[in-house]
Amino acid sequence: MRVTFPHMGNLWIVVKTVLEDLGLDVVVPPRPSRQSLEAGVRHAPEFACFPLKLNIGDFVGALAKGAEAIVMAGGIGPCRFGHYAQVEAQVLHDLGHDVEMVVLEPPRGHAGEFWAKVRYLTGGKPLRRVIGALRFGWEKLKALDDLDRALVAVRPIELARGAAATAHRRAVALLDAAADRAGVRRRLSEGLEAIGGAAAETEHGPEGWPVLEVGVVGEIFMILEPFANQEIERRLGELGVHVRRALYLSDWVRTHLLPAATQPARRRRAKAVREAARPYLSHFVGGEGLESVGEAILCDLGGCDGVVQVAPFTCMPEIVAASLLPEVGRDLGLPVLSLFLDEHTGEAGLQTRLEAFVDLLRRRRAARRTPAARVCGTSAGRRRGRLRQWLCGAST
Amino acid sequence: MALGACQLEEGAVVGLPRALLFYELYPFWKALFEKLGLRIAVSGPTSRDVIEAGIREAADEACLPVKAFYGHVMALRGKVDTVFLPRLVSLKGGTYTCPKLLGLPDMIRHNVGRLPRVIIAEVDETKPGKGLMAAGLSLARRLGRAPGRARAASAAALEALGVFRAGIWSGRPFEEAAGWLGPRDSGVGSGGEGAAGRDGSHIEPREVARAAEPVRVGLVGHAYNLFDPGVNLDLPRKLARLGCGMVTSEALTEKQVEAESSTRPKEIFWSSGRRVLAAATHFRRGKEVDGIIHVVSFGCGPDSMIGEIAERETRRTSDLPYMLLTIDEHTAEAGLVTRLEAFVDMLERRRARGLGPAGSGREGAAGPAMTAAVDRGENSA
Repeated sequence: MRVTFPHMGNLWIVVKTVLEDLGLDVVVPPRPSRQSLEAGVRHAPEFACFPLKLNIGDFVGALAKGAEAIVMAGGIGPCRFGHYAQVEAQVLHDLGHDVEMVVLEPPRGHAGEFWAKVRYLTGGKPLRRVIGALRFGWEKLKALDDLDRALVAVRPIELARGAAATAHRRAVALLDAAADRAGVRRRLSEGLEAIGGAAAETEHGPEGWPVLEVGVVGEIFMILEPFANQEIERRLGELGVHVRRALYLSDWVRTHLLPAATQPARRRRAKAVREAARPYLSHFVGGEGLESVGEAILCDLGGCDGVVQVAPFTCMPEIVAASLLPEVGRDLGLPVLSLFLDEHTGEAGLQTRLEAFVDLLRRRRAARRTPAARVCGTSAGRRRGRLRQWLCGAST
Repeated sequence: MALGACQLEEGAVVGLPRALLFYELYPFWKALFEKLGLRIAVSGPTSRDVIEAGIREAADEACLPVKAFYGHVMALRGKVDTVFLPRLVSLKGGTYTCPKLLGLPDMIRHNVGRLPRVIIAEVDETKPGKGLMAAGLSLARRLGRAPGRARAASAAALEALGVFRAGIWSGRPFEEAAGWLGPRDSGVGSGGEGAAGRDGSHIEPREVARAAEPVRVGLVGHAYNLFDPGVNLDLPRKLARLGCGMVTSEALTEKQVEAESSTRPKEIFWSSGRRVLAAATHFRRGKEVDGIIHVVSFGCGPDSMIGEIAERETRRTSDLPYMLLTIDEHTAEAGLVTRLEAFVDMLERRRARGLGPAGSGREGAAGPAMTAAVDRGENSA
């Protein structure tokens, strides 16, 4: 059985590693592109959210390469993603592909359902083998996220435009080819060194501007998939911004998939996010809606100059967050830019909005020497002080 | 936010925004508050003014019904002692409403200025002891009512809801099932011309030769889209003027919904979407309608998925006409009327060609059994 799966940033390297380690024949779909997006838009429901359209594009590409089955994640609501697999199966069926979909999702009945699917997928490999493969994939995932973190830190101060990205691309390719966990660790440290080598000996960005700190919050797919967010990290980086991504896939796995008892730091962080959001949003709303609000506030406490929210057009949880973020911004004196993106988003329009936003942040930075001094004695400052006081108890 | 105490004197006025799940739960809240010694005031019908007020305050990306909810809350300002904002997480175990409804009380509190005090109640049937009954009890306790009275009020409210649902399931219109005795625009803060649609325009009854039996349309969608004439541009009345019979997805009993849903490999986790999909399947199988109209709000997340599944399944397994009608604040009345007329014309022509619903045994539908045979024959040809 030749299996494929949808793209989401660097996820393909991890999934490919795990599935191949378990002896499956894996077809990696072509990276999302104008062409795959066109196929997705043509066949997916018009008003489905953007990630579904890209998924369809990925699947069409992978089926053309000979894939016979699809491994897909599921969910139990209320976010639409939980029903992606059902809609996608119908779309592919009507296109004449009777492809098998193996949906991995939280079981509704008993945990056995989940393991039955894993056993089916792996052809009855022993649990020990499965866990071994997962650990190998996990090692690669952590390393990939470390490379991404290094890239966004170096990009605003790189020696020559694109130097950091080139080193990063090379490091990712080497990591992809690593054959064992020791190899992953070695190639990670080599990669980090190479990316660091692209940095100039300066703390200033292009044209001598100080490097700005901008948090990127929002929906997980849109944050992680550069094609979907039109490479927002590159665009911001080239404008002299150190992007602080609120969500890395390894963090998500730590919060949602690994046993909570083994991840005390992540648990504290998740609690801090909930508590920070509480004055504005006191209930989960599915997807990353609550996290977008909470992380934006934590970005502010962490000294960010501004926050950018990225979400697919019509995303329900992010609409809730987008309704509340202007209020958060007003209270804290934190500039927030909400971007709802889809296949109609023009590149020039997005670039202009980002440039204007960064311009605004620079002026604010210039007007107030240090981020901490900017709100002394104001009501926003007092509110932030109370929040920080509370959070000191909740997070480290 | 914590569901803190919210003492209200006997006779205080609680405002209910006439939007969203008001159309599913109004009798429950009405009975509950009245038994707790409070008076209720319902905002007026959804008018152009209400919608425009909502658009000003809500996020651009929000859907029309949410914007209308904002408008209704704003219409209640200054006219009531408190506004009631339920947080309706789930009305049935294993399902959710919609993320926007989960965040709605927070959105209203932060986006709408000059708000009177608000009462919030949380209903979450996915968790034991957090359902409607518990919400009623908790509300009564926070209002400072004695436990005995709280229990009696909650029980009476559940009973009222049961009566209302039985009415809806037997196909009665919302106003009638809800025991709405006064004129339709009896609410407070009513802005605009009332329930005659947003532009107030009408369709003249047509004088066309029709089959003796009117065509029947299965109208599926969220209750707040089907029952709010201000949101759906008075769609049911427009269809009636075109001489259409109608049956809505709301008229399916919970048992019927359950029967149609449980055969799916994965049940739909939105309560309304589950009902819409069950209704589409039911109408298709029962052959009791000539066509299906799915009314959706532009940007509705659940409907973007449910509509797709329903449409594809309908096309694949039947030749029943299916129309997806997307409505938002920019939808023009004339365009809607044209589409409806075209759709109904097509249904009537199909009827005339003997392609109506088969097996109904209604007079006028010539040879129902034969029709079914022709029907299938054409399909496979």
